[in-house]
Amino acid sequence: MDFLLLHQNHFKMFLPEVFLATAILMLTLYATFTVSSHFLGHPVLTQNFSKMCLLILFLTLILVHNNTIPFMLTYQSTFIFDSLTTNAKEIVIFFSMVCIYIFEDSLLKQKINNFEYFILLLCAVLGLMLLISSYDLISLYLAIELQSLCLYVLAAAKKDSTFSTEAGLKYFILGSFSSALLLFGISLIYGSTGTTNFEDLSLLFAYTSSDISIIKSVDIGLIFIAAAFFFKIAAAPLHMWSPDVYEGAPVSSTIFFAVIPKIAMFSVFLRLFQTVFSNLQDVILLIVIFFSLVSVVVGSFVALKQKKIKRLLAYSSISHVGYMLLAFSANSIEGTQALFFYLVIYMITSLILWSILLSVNTKDNSDRSKTLVDFSFLSATNPLLALTGLIAFFSLAGVPPLAGFYAKMSIFLATISSSLIFASVFAILTSVISSYYYIRIIKSLYFEKRDNTTFFVPVTRSCSLTMGVSSFLLIHFFVNPTLLSLLAEKMALCLF
Amino acid sequence: MDFFILEYTPILFLLLISIGLASVILGASYFLGIQKPDTEKVSVYECGFDPYEDSRNAFDVRFYLVAILFIIFDLEAMFLFPWAVSLGHLSSMGFWTMVDFLAELTVGFIYVWKIGALEWE
Repeated sequence: MDFLLLHQNHFKMFLPEVFLATAILMLTLYATFTVSSHFLGHPVLTQNFSKMCLLILFLTLILVHNNTIPFMLTYQSTFIFDSLTTNAKEIVIFFSMVCIYIFEDSLLKQKINNFEYFILLLCAVLGLMLLISSYDLISLYLAIELQSLCLYVLAAAKKDSTFSTEAGLKYFILGSFSSALLLFGISLIYGSTGTTNFEDLSLLFAYTSSDISIIKSVDIGLIFIAAAFFFKIAAAPLHMWSPDVYEGAPVSSTIFFAVIPKIAMFSVFLRLFQTVFSNLQDVILLIVIFFSLVSVVVGSFVALKQKKIKRLLAYSSISHVGYMLLAFSANSIEGTQALFFYLVIYMITSLILWSILLSVNTKDNSDRSKTLVDFSFLSATNPLLALTGLIAFFSLAGVPPLAGFYAKMSIFLATISSSLIFASVFAILTSVISSYYYIRIIKSLYFEKRDNTTFFVPVTRSCSLTMGVSSFLLIHFFVNPTLLSLLAEKMALCLF
Repeated sequence: MDFFILEYTPILFLLLISIGLASVILGASYFLGIQKPDTEKVSVYECGFDPYEDSRNAFDVRFYLVAILFIIFDLEAMFLFPWAVSLGHLSSMGFWTMVDFLAELTVGFIYVWKIGALEWE
């Protein structure tokens, strides 16, 4: 019984994760027996499963939200629970729900009938939740592996498509390489300090000056960890996997890759770099600025040449990662707040973009990947869809009456007040270039004539609901950003 | 230096003895045995496949499936040994952790079984 008493509180904090894990096991058993049953005629469980995933994620969201203890370290301080983790988990779970909600029809259309798809998706969400909470390098590594192994399989989910298999394989090989970098960095830090725990490390480095000899190897270890982090969030020059994976993977998986994992990665690595190793930040911040500027440039210039929408969105996400890293390099509360604000706005905007991509199906283009031509003159055939696209792309470009402007402005204000003048002016200039290709898409939405008028397949209810709510939010957060900026500030305050 | 020698001398002896023993056994069977080689005898035996051939030929994927599943369950069994040895020192937490682990492993096994991954035909 002492076991129960001892671990009661720890278990209480872990209730959402435990619930999700148990639900995954139950779903696996249920699906295994249903699918293999002759009596039921080997049913396809996609619709059933997407509803159940929504329910499970909703219950997990409530459990996360219902947690009353504001701060706690659990299980030999391998996991941390504070308001950053709670909010980040809520955001991850909520956006995963929206993703599942919008791509159910696309799964049915693409004939991805495996129920394992949803189970892997839930496992990835579980991995992300553990990743957000992790407070030890070992649990960090294990959580990253849990979520990336699921994502590799999701990329290769369309088994009869060569592109999908190729995307999965590329993602797997490069992802394992970056995990190896992460492990090497962790081993260097462990070798020179003898601990992997964040709390011990932060105590150890709280008052050290940089001329102690072990600092060098810790620095190198941190650089390796940072490289793995930049790889996972696809910051240039470690971005090469992301356009290929985005393009090859089935669109449902791509939505998940594009929207969900970044916030988890950012929250855990910000904690690692800003609170644990805050005394050793000179090297890291230089690298962050370098990666941020290269990402902004690569994202803006290479996207100019892209014809396919998925690749274009991949490069646009690289440039947005660049802005987020710029906010990271500001290394202040305002910067981190701007980062989380930007991240949430970016997630909302990309939900609109991907729903539009799911909605521009005609009879003859549903199999191939969409190009810019598929968007042309959408304003005549589906004016509302075109208007939504206009709002989303203007918000990405940062045009004033939309939330994207406020997000970008707060990032630049934060970096300028941290006196990174050159970097922020450079990023502002490149953002002008990147707004060219967003506006070019708007031009093809509204002004490019199409030779033969085609009719689009009706937009699904889930996509239209998501697009409507998200574009409302984009306008709403420009008029009244208080809610989101308070949330972002609450998350940022945990790191300082 | 003394410490160094003290620590590593047994390893040196072990190395010498193992090299000697290996060469005696191999050499004896080479020189004393009767050798009548034919093609079947001298060809390399590698689980029924010719190891040096064109790698781009059709190969039944089920071999891989069975091999991967075997390795997974083999590795899981590996976790049981250190747990079993140190069970006396563990609290009830240690016991129930492994029970949980085995329960989840069983779910995986049921999945593999029912989905038909273990069936050859």
